[in-house]
Amino acid sequence: MTHVTASTLAPDLRPGGVAAWVRGRPVVVAVVAIVIMVISVVLGVGLGSVQIGPTETVGVILWRTLGLRAGLDWAPATEAIIWDLRLPRVLTSMVIGAGLAVAGATFQGLLRNPLADPYVLGTASGAALGAAVAVLIPIQIAFLQFGLLHGLAFAGALLAAYVVFRLGGSGGPGGLTRLLLTGYAVGSVLAALLTMAMYVSGADLRQIFSFLLGGLAGASWPRLAIAAPLIVGACTLMILRSPVLDGLLLGDQAAGHLGIDVRRERGILLALASLATAAGVAISGLIGFVGLVVPHFVRLVVGPAARRVLPISAILGAALLTAADLVARLVGDVPVGVVMALLGAPFFLFLLHRTRSSYEL
Amino acid sequence: MSPDPRRRVVALFFALSLALVACSTPGASSPAPASPGPGSGAASPSAVAPPIPSAATFPVTLTDDEGTTVELAAEPQRIVSLTPATTEILFEIGAGDRVVATDDGSDYPAAAVDLPDVASFSAVDVEQVVSLDPDLVVAGGLGFTPADAITQLRSLDIPVLVVYAPSVDGVYKDIELLGTATGTSDAALEVTADMRAEIDAISNAVAESGTPPRVFYEIGYDDTTGAIYAPADDSFVAEMVTLAGGEAITTGDPNTYEIALEKLIERDPEVIVLGVNPFYEPTPEAVAARAGWSVMTALVNDDVRTVNDIEINRPGPRLPVGLRNLAETIRPDVTLPPAP
Repeated sequence: MTHVTASTLAPDLRPGGVAAWVRGRPVVVAVVAIVIMVISVVLGVGLGSVQIGPTETVGVILWRTLGLRAGLDWAPATEAIIWDLRLPRVLTSMVIGAGLAVAGATFQGLLRNPLADPYVLGTASGAALGAAVAVLIPIQIAFLQFGLLHGLAFAGALLAAYVVFRLGGSGGPGGLTRLLLTGYAVGSVLAALLTMAMYVSGADLRQIFSFLLGGLAGASWPRLAIAAPLIVGACTLMILRSPVLDGLLLGDQAAGHLGIDVRRERGILLALASLATAAGVAISGLIGFVGLVVPHFVRLVVGPAARRVLPISAILGAALLTAADLVARLVGDVPVGVVMALLGAPFFLFLLHRTRSSYEL
Repeated sequence: MSPDPRRRVVALFFALSLALVACSTPGASSPAPASPGPGSGAASPSAVAPPIPSAATFPVTLTDDEGTTVELAAEPQRIVSLTPATTEILFEIGAGDRVVATDDGSDYPAAAVDLPDVASFSAVDVEQVVSLDPDLVVAGGLGFTPADAITQLRSLDIPVLVVYAPSVDGVYKDIELLGTATGTSDAALEVTADMRAEIDAISNAVAESGTPPRVFYEIGYDDTTGAIYAPADDSFVAEMVTLAGGEAITTGDPNTYEIALEKLIERDPEVIVLGVNPFYEPTPEAVAARAGWSVMTALVNDDVRTVNDIEINRPGPRLPVGLRNLAETIRPDVTLPPAP
């Protein structure tokens, strides 16, 4: 353990310095996060493997949203690239990034475990097994661009979370460890079944594998139209319940004294977080990192209060996934989770290292 | 999450390389495209006449290898080919000058190499495809072209034909399908007639002389784990081995690409064929050095030989070349009919 003195710290993280000032002003942090998000979105729509000038890009968006032609003209392909490929992809990455970050923050708070992520209740294995089963069933169903894969991934994620919740004692008093371990055990069984499914899948292995890697290449308007209400709705309800989450963070007994129905509230929050996760996973596959790290990142900056952590996590999660997906696209469709971990983890380590105060959930 | 992710990646690699050709359960099989008419084959001179697309063939409604109905309003002038095999087919049937982009694996013919690459082994750059404004995209089935990319292109009203051949007959069918799709039916029928004639001539020649030896066609080998990758039952490679006058040793299951060393020793191959491609370059010396392999008849008699895997494994117009090489490798004793 290295002895850290105040002089070795960056000035802005000294007590009484910028860090403390920021901590007292979450609105400033939120505004900075929104600016980062807007920049990510503008770059995300403006850049891609095909070069399209900013005038044409803005022209297409004005035309499709407001019907303004503004004397500009462009090829139909340009319009399709901006409006049907880039825009739904950027919006989908925002929605899923926000959903995973808020779900991660909620799981971490509820389970009082810093290593909890959106997949802690077996959602990931459930979704992956659902997707694998869909790939193995030789039936092609398509409804509004939703295939069997999306449906079974969504159902698998929710089912896994439900089974864990029921077997794990519903997260009742003192049941946190039990819930976590149940999640681990059920996840292991599902992962074993997934491995089995992959082993027998033969040439279909590729499809299952790309689901496991996760990515936003499949984004489209119809898919966004179904997933966005689920994710945005669940996130809004979680953010509205963040005072309850703050109460639960004090411990079951203290929360009970505050008049919180611990069992019921925990159930509701777990359900909402699982719903947001499942809806995201069904469209984008398993995307890691954002749900685990963004909430911690926000806590390091604004402190542990869920009332601040949840909304700011939503904005930052949206910004991070959009920016990472842009890099992933420009590099040549590498898995977005790889980009996030490679660029985000060192920055997170830096912040963790520079933070003076001991960090608690 | 999995016990050993590395193994899974290795298995994935081989599954990927097999994706185009291996298929035991073809889905809704498409009917053979309607024969466009007279004058194909027999009477026509060997010099290939330039294909004359007849105006009557468009608009045309086709059923691709996934059973999807695809409508083409006019003869496609800007074609994007997303698999190496379909690129070869399009050039062979005389539609090559209308191909505007391919995938990065399309390495034949030479004219296709310089075309822009809009797809890699793992992904399709949908933006690039759209920007080329194609009126026909030819994609690979069984996940070779990601399903999401196909959905996106079709949602933008770009016609996508999904093509994969589970067998040699499937290759003929695909060539004729692409002939109908590109208005080059006559040339396509000529190509398949020539292919059929040569493949039949070779397989008849080897079938008429002697008993077929037991042949193990090695698709891959993992030096660290000792995993052996072999043709699955009913797979494309197994069919080629059979046509080339061998008794193919397969994994025993249509969906398994790995064979245990014990099982391979029990089947005792008389000839081992090493399929060489840019990703896998084994040598007979390396095989001889593998622990436990020396008991097999093929190693005792020094009958381990390499062959160009691409021409055998790629479901395109070069199959007769591949089959000839394979037959010469498996049955060096048989004199094959001369190449046309």
